[in-house]
Amino acid sequence: MNSLLIPGGNVPGQSPESIGERMKTNDEQSTVLTLNKVGKSFGHLRVLKGIDLQVQRSEVVCLIGPSGSGKSTLLRSMAFLEEYDEGEIRIEGQLLGWQDTDKGRRRAPQAQINQVRRNVGMVFQQFNLWPHMTALGNVCEALRRVRKLSADDAKKRGMAMLDKVGLAHKADAYPAQLSGGQQQRVAIARALAMEPHIMLFDEPTSALDPELVGEVLQVMKTLAKEGMTMVVVTHEMGFAAQVADSVIFLDQGEIVARGTPQQIFHNAEQPRLQQFLQNYLDRNAFWQDARP
Amino acid sequence: MFDWPLLQQNAPLLLGALWVTLQVSMAALVFGFIIGIVVGSLRLSPIPLLRRLGGAYIFVFRGIPLLVQLLFIYYFLPRVGLPNVSPTVAAIIGLSLAAGAYIAEIMRGGFLAIPGGQLEAAGLLGMSDAQMLMRIRVPQAVRLTLPALVNEMILLIKASSLVSVVGLADLTRTAQNLAASDYMFVQDYLMLAGFYCLINVPLAYAASLLERRLKERTA
Amino acid sequence: MTFDPSIFTDHLGDIGAGFLVTLGTWSSGVVLGLALGMLIAVAQVFGNNFVRAPLRVLIELIRSTPFLVQLFLVYYGGPSFGISLDPIPAGILGLGVYGGVYFAQIFRTGFQSVAQGQLEAADCLGITRLQSIWRIQLPQMLVMILPALVNMVTVLCKETAVLSIITIPELTMVLTGIGSETFAFVETLLMLCIGYLILVELCSRLGMLLETRIGRFMSRQPR
Repeated sequence: MNSLLIPGGNVPGQSPESIGERMKTNDEQSTVLTLNKVGKSFGHLRVLKGIDLQVQRSEVVCLIGPSGSGKSTLLRSMAFLEEYDEGEIRIEGQLLGWQDTDKGRRRAPQAQINQVRRNVGMVFQQFNLWPHMTALGNVCEALRRVRKLSADDAKKRGMAMLDKVGLAHKADAYPAQLSGGQQQRVAIARALAMEPHIMLFDEPTSALDPELVGEVLQVMKTLAKEGMTMVVVTHEMGFAAQVADSVIFLDQGEIVARGTPQQIFHNAEQPRLQQFLQNYLDRNAFWQDARP
Repeated sequence: MFDWPLLQQNAPLLLGALWVTLQVSMAALVFGFIIGIVVGSLRLSPIPLLRRLGGAYIFVFRGIPLLVQLLFIYYFLPRVGLPNVSPTVAAIIGLSLAAGAYIAEIMRGGFLAIPGGQLEAAGLLGMSDAQMLMRIRVPQAVRLTLPALVNEMILLIKASSLVSVVGLADLTRTAQNLAASDYMFVQDYLMLAGFYCLINVPLAYAASLLERRLKERTA
Repeated sequence: MTFDPSIFTDHLGDIGAGFLVTLGTWSSGVVLGLALGMLIAVAQVFGNNFVRAPLRVLIELIRSTPFLVQLFLVYYGGPSFGISLDPIPAGILGLGVYGGVYFAQIFRTGFQSVAQGQLEAADCLGITRLQSIWRIQLPQMLVMILPALVNMVTVLCKETAVLSIITIPELTMVLTGIGSETFAFVETLLMLCIGYLILVELCSRLGMLLETRIGRFMSRQPR
């Protein structure tokens, strides 16, 4: 397996202000992501209500819950694609997105946000590949423009990443020429190329035709086995049950239940979780009954 | 820079000329609409020759600058034995011919947006082609293209600023005359611009409103 | 009406010069318009309300008034603001501002046509806003907006005829001048019409060629 996937240690080139943070990081080496009373409102609607969460290195956390429960918003907040407005999110000890000034909290400068989040990889439901670039071009773009690698180095690294997701032979294909599953695998390769310490997946298989779900889940499973830290919003309960170290059930902006897959899927105590799982089972049963 | 009494003195003159501009543009919209329906239908005709004819009309009247078209009419009409055409009529002819080409394209889009099944149904009921055009295609196409037609009206009002080349004293020519006598170029031309805005800004607002309503209804 | 080619051969030099003036004002106007349009569009898409509100008013004003009136304001009104321009620079400025407003509208639609998610993906990878505009938005929107851009370029070609009114010796002015000199109005105007038709057609042909060239990645090929 490709060792490029398992990054370790800290990233050089941090600003002087963050040295104190880094000391702390070294002490809490094993915690990659910390959420502390994170809240978020859209107008009057409070979609996240004080979420606490810690993700350890190499841990795989699955977020499940009904639609509108806030799980996608929570995940997007972890990459600061949503500006959470209460609490704090720390990535390897560094506060994400905000800075505290005497006048209160301010949005951090973009460079600082990028610096904190350079260890976060994100995979979207809609892939969000750039349609005017080839698969390889998509993977290499940030290596060239952000990491400033030479064209050769970027290409070498990009090919390794495509190989990793089994798509080296599609390097020159444009997204429109790839199936949904292949596009999502390219998107995963694109995020992996930046050597993230943590990968966030936002319903990575929800936009796929059923027969293409497997290939994407397989790639994610391999990643998990290799020790990648992952947070996954998903409707694939089978994946959560098999791969997750812990499962978090979110409903109406709150964490209603958390535990091992065993605890969540087999010993559910909370009525809301029971109801959610029952709905899921009913749907599948319907599907099973329909089969000859 | 501004001379208030002069402004008050000039404004009524421009208001009168605005009326000329509006009359000419409105008339051109009506005639242009008729030409547009004919040429637009030609473009969709099953007969290749008619399609070509429609295409040629649009190509010529959209491709040549309006100013040149107007000059052509001014010099050409007397040559073909119509020496005493009034400037108003010449202006309306010029604007209508050009508007017809633009409206034809708009109407073509409108006609194409009507589901073909409707026409088949009408044909089965024994409606003639002309009946289908007037009773089914045009009313629906107009509803679908109303925002575009309002925008065309704005374009026509602006285009009519060129009709002074056929000798018509429209809004722009009147302002030019005023400026030539009082030398208050900025004031006179800003007032001129203001008069155009007076008509076109509400029209633009109406067009975007219509467009939004159309989107809501078709969505 | 007999056609006498000597009308043209006698004035070939003048006609050529007029053609060059038309080409020159047109292309300068297009370049200025594209630059202004891009500036306005970027300010509108990425700027705050203090930038947007005055731009909206300016755009509304220019879209609501005839090009000729704008030309008068630049050429005759300019000196009152301390900007005395010769006819040709005034004409180019007028064309540029007029075209710029319409180009801005086109660019703005283009910016909005690129899905937000693609920009989020870029953002997550640390790609800066400017890099994003240049590498992700522009190449994609160019394909989408090219037909509209080409159309606007041909509109500007036709508007150069109006420049004759502020005494710029371009094609229309030269040929109508020859017409009134020789009384061969119909011949000269016919020639003028054909000239513009060729220019406009050439321009849209080029546009279509460009479209198929840069739009290649959009076409689906068999997997």
